Amino acid sequence: MKKLSVLLVIVMLATALAACGSKVPEACESDPLGCAVIEKGETVKIGMAGPMLGDYAMFGKDISQGAMVAIDEVNAAGGLEGFNFELIAEDTGGSPEQGAAVASKFVTDETMVAIAGHIFSGESEAAMPIYEDAGFPMMSPSATNPPLTQMGSTVFNRLAFTDAVQAKFAAEMLKNDLGVSKLALVHDGSAYGQGLADEVQANFESMGGEVVAYEAVTPGEADYSATLAAIAAAGPEAVYYGGYAAEAIVMANQWAQAGLTGVTLFGCDGTFGVEFTQKTGANGIGSIAASLVPPDSDEKTAFDTAYQTKFGLAAGELSAFTWSAYDTAYTLMNAAMSVAFVDGDTLYIPRSAMVAAVRGTNYNGLTGAVVCDATGECNASGPSFYEVVSDGAGGSTWIPFTK
Amino acid sequence: METLKKLVPSDLNASKWVRMILGILVLALLVWRLVDVILIQRLYGPDTWARFAITGLIIGGMYALIAIGYTLVYGILLMINFAHGEVMMLGSFAGYFVFELLAFIPSPGPENPEQVLLNAFPVLSILVAFLVGMLVSALAGYFLEKIAYRPLRKAPRLVPLISAIGASIFLQNAAMLLFGPQRRTYLNPTLLDRGLGLEIPIAGNNVLVPYTGIFSFVLSILLMLGLYLLVQKTKLGRSMRAVAEDKGAAALMGINVDAVISRTFIISGILAGAAGVMWGVHNGLLNHYVGYIPGMKAFTAAVMGGIGNIPGAMLGGMTLGILESLGPAMLGIDFQLKDVIAFTILILVLIFRPSGLLGERLSEEKV
Amino acid sequence: MKKNVTALQKGLNTGITLGVVMVFLSLTAFTVVLANIIGDSYRPTPVTYGFVIALFGFFGGLMASSKRGLPNDDWKNVLTSSAAAGLIGGVILAVPLAVLGSIHLNGTDLRNYLVMVSPDVMETYLFGIGLLPAILITVIIFAAGAILGGAFNKGAARAEWRARWMANSQEKIRSAWQAPRVQQVVAGRYSKLFFMVGALLLLFLMPFVWGSYWNYVMGTVGLYILLGLGMNIIVGLSGQLVLGYVAFFAIGAYAMGLLSSPEPLGIQLGFWPALLASILVAALTGILLGLPILNLRGDYLAIVTLGFGEIIRILIKSDSLTWFTGGPKGLRAIAQPAIFGLKFNSDVNFMHLILVGVLVGVFIAYRLQYSRTGRAWLSVQGDQTVSRATGVNTYQYKILALALGAAFAGIGGAIFASRNQFTGPEDHVLMVSINVLCLVIVGGMGSLPGVILGSFVLKGIPELLRDLTDYRLLVFGVLLVVMMIVRPEGLWPTRRPKLEKQHLSKYDPDNDEASSEEVSA
Repeated sequence: MKKLSVLLVIVMLATALAACGSKVPEACESDPLGCAVIEKGETVKIGMAGPMLGDYAMFGKDISQGAMVAIDEVNAAGGLEGFNFELIAEDTGGSPEQGAAVASKFVTDETMVAIAGHIFSGESEAAMPIYEDAGFPMMSPSATNPPLTQMGSTVFNRLAFTDAVQAKFAAEMLKNDLGVSKLALVHDGSAYGQGLADEVQANFESMGGEVVAYEAVTPGEADYSATLAAIAAAGPEAVYYGGYAAEAIVMANQWAQAGLTGVTLFGCDGTFGVEFTQKTGANGIGSIAASLVPPDSDEKTAFDTAYQTKFGLAAGELSAFTWSAYDTAYTLMNAAMSVAFVDGDTLYIPRSAMVAAVRGTNYNGLTGAVVCDATGECNASGPSFYEVVSDGAGGSTWIPFTK
Repeated sequence: METLKKLVPSDLNASKWVRMILGILVLALLVWRLVDVILIQRLYGPDTWARFAITGLIIGGMYALIAIGYTLVYGILLMINFAHGEVMMLGSFAGYFVFELLAFIPSPGPENPEQVLLNAFPVLSILVAFLVGMLVSALAGYFLEKIAYRPLRKAPRLVPLISAIGASIFLQNAAMLLFGPQRRTYLNPTLLDRGLGLEIPIAGNNVLVPYTGIFSFVLSILLMLGLYLLVQKTKLGRSMRAVAEDKGAAALMGINVDAVISRTFIISGILAGAAGVMWGVHNGLLNHYVGYIPGMKAFTAAVMGGIGNIPGAMLGGMTLGILESLGPAMLGIDFQLKDVIAFTILILVLIFRPSGLLGERLSEEKV
Repeated sequence: MKKNVTALQKGLNTGITLGVVMVFLSLTAFTVVLANIIGDSYRPTPVTYGFVIALFGFFGGLMASSKRGLPNDDWKNVLTSSAAAGLIGGVILAVPLAVLGSIHLNGTDLRNYLVMVSPDVMETYLFGIGLLPAILITVIIFAAGAILGGAFNKGAARAEWRARWMANSQEKIRSAWQAPRVQQVVAGRYSKLFFMVGALLLLFLMPFVWGSYWNYVMGTVGLYILLGLGMNIIVGLSGQLVLGYVAFFAIGAYAMGLLSSPEPLGIQLGFWPALLASILVAALTGILLGLPILNLRGDYLAIVTLGFGEIIRILIKSDSLTWFTGGPKGLRAIAQPAIFGLKFNSDVNFMHLILVGVLVGVFIAYRLQYSRTGRAWLSVQGDQTVSRATGVNTYQYKILALALGAAFAGIGGAIFASRNQFTGPEDHVLMVSINVLCLVIVGGMGSLPGVILGSFVLKGIPELLRDLTDYRLLVFGVLLVVMMIVRPEGLWPTRRPKLEKQHLSKYDPDNDEASSEEVSA
């Protein structure tokens, strides 16, 4: 027992001495949060935390894969002063509890410089204070809950547009472009879906529209026709859905059974993606969704090809966030490159400067301009809208919406 | 402790007044809501009510099939087979792969050279998919029992439950690692396209009854009938009932208890496999997590009907399906709360009938 | 293994089992991950992959040549059995290799259906050479590994010198332990006290040393110990199977949140009054829930409480109660504890708070368990009719157990919410109840050390397994099954039921089975 305590004290003293003894560059001493220190042979790590296992695994997988494409590109081009980047993706199951656990683990890693995540809003919120203390800048491609950027955090940024922005565009489009006067709202019971539905309702009603039904469905169940039949009975002209693709697909397939034929299904950025058209076929024709992804560009095509060869499936098949994940990784790597310096064989990245660099980013990516405002909202361009039309072979496909 | 003694009725029978008050309150609420929704507010027309009922019957049939699996195993081993939903998931995947394979093989006919086997022989394809799905689930059930439960036959009763939870976690993650986290979509033969169905005019509106739904419902009724005959009329059924009644006595009468238990798991696997393929055909989406919610619901249904009782499981499944789709509408509340209604009814049923709707066969000591 | 089988049969059986396992591991690319771990690189080489195959073969050889089930373990039998295992296992592994290999060589990407089998992985399986040589090499390496395993088992593991060495070292340890000076220290007057103070000091110091991540993980383990203590009272002592334990946890967390967070109610009591309220509200819910349902038995009670847990969770996240509970967005900015105006909110402080909570909880649970109340609970668990006949008011004791268990969950939930400064519906899913039930049973029903050990297993092991990335939960599931099969009575079972069993079985040989059935009802 005694020996053990003595040992402990010795270990503690030794660590303290080691910290004093080693030579620290000036820029790191002046930085209140210190530096990320990457020795020769190590990699510069970017953390990502989200559901990698369990029911929502496809989001975690997809977002990490999108980021990996970016990291491979940068590494192939020489990395950061000869140091390679590496993505460390940890599973949280999407829960706030494990989100905080993973964050506590990440901040003990000296070679980690930034976090591409977290994926869900709840876990991001639980992790924010931990990263704030350690000076790890975050950039989430998918956490949309509006208050996240209103809590005075210096480290949190996001590429996803907030529910408020997206909902405003969606409500305007419903009311003005589609001429809908009676709207029904459905969400998936998540913070994301409910946030969107509430915002759309507020905007739509303030424009003089009428909301005739408001329901929620439970993700994972595969039959929503009863809920939809109740909505149909209220006689809406369009149904706005806040939530992810899986439930939207089931709904589109049950549209006729519920008596909603001729009513437009209007989805959000979580709904958009090839998955929806692949799995609804002709049943999805006429649906509309918002998306971060601008219409095709050469860079987007290049990314899609790279993704397909690397992972064996089409970009967007797992989730709608893969392009944002790519931009997120690029933004974080650019920020690291702008503040890193080499001293001897070691790479140093001052943490406060890194946090500031992410907030001050100015980058043109797949999803448009990435420019963060003072609160950490980095999506400077608004959403684009897409609609589903027949592909002429029994299936359907997304095309940019035209009035 | 002393204050608690004063607060709490001292005898078991005295808790009756708690139940009485509860019962009257619930009944009053129910009547008031029903009258309000159906007679005063008139929220829904008859066509909508018909849609609710159709949805409930289709989903109820699937719940019933899965619930029978729980009840069979429970009747014999007195254990909750927590991994039963995952057995269903494996069957669902098997059916998916059969359809994919058949859609891959071309079947050049004289008039349509681009046709694939799946659409050239739709009935046969569906049959093969169901047979393979049932086979895979039956094997899964068999090995599940052999590996995870048989070594625990003599252990305290909650121990196999934990083993079942472990098996369930394993199977879910195994399926995710094998087939990936993405959702897959069932490729039905054109005969059973989702979104098509019979149109029945009710109150001036056409109510669509999907073909997949009719097919699932009829098939689940047929399977249930088959099972009932098996349990009541065959030798295997008799030995299953004997083992459920008393393992020791059954063994003395020359019944191979282990073999009967294995076969029970195979039968419950077959039903789960059929439900799994049905789930895929009707609802379309499929991933490693697909068994969780139906498993949960079916377990609830089995208990509601009286666990260990086969007609009880059928009744429970149907009741649950209908409650889920009609309940919120009848009470005029959000559909998000449909599970709250289902569970509340379950609790009420058990408070007033402590061994489920039909569950008298099981003596109290046994539970 | 009741039946007598020949060495060949045993070898075939082992080989088939192992072959199927190998096929599964190959399809999920686990073999490649192992090769990477062994080679300490990101890419497997033919050498490391071949080594993994040989390793599994070796393991198969060990299993096939074990004494159990072999008619006798002379060299001939051992080698026959292990060679058969190796060959059949290799052939089984070769079948999918042949099928998938030819599809792969056709240029088709297998990941459409089998996501882990990327072209790179396939190349590894094919050793970078043609299909036929790769199949041959796989079978040969596997069989060679198996034969080697059998030979090792016979030659080294069962050798006499090894047995002698084992016995010798055991004897040495025992004699060292029994030496008078050691015994003097162990049995000494102050040594127990000294040991306890030392342990406490260590517990106090550890949070400073092991960093925020382990503080977080150990904090979660500590919270689960608190939950487990409560669940142990309900399931382990009074014998009521409750699957909706998370409801009380949620009520504790939400009472803390609603009373101390600025939104949505804005009451903002401090941490301590809110903690007290959480405990009271949770216990009260326990009593109110218990009143109508505690006459249900066994699995009916389980499903009713499960339903109650789900009802609470759905209500928390429902639209109609969002004004009250915050809906799916949850509650944020929940108060953190302060003593005399001194805020303590770092990970170390919370670790200490949880430690204090666990120590107090263990103390209370210990006193309860060995009091009159505890014995009454055990009698209710044993046989309700008999205990009622001997004057135990079973109904009251069951409600008391539920209320106390709920109170523990309330504390756990309140500290949980305060530590995260956030709680939402996703924190209160059914898995929490199941985890707590698992930890009680894995640890050993009714055993306090078992609860502590079980919490480490259930919440610690998944964190330790993080290096396995995607395979983490897969391995965890297998561990859970294996743990139950190897130690069905739990990792640290109580001594009492065992004594009773022995005592009873003296008079009635049939009682063994009957009592084990009732204990768990």
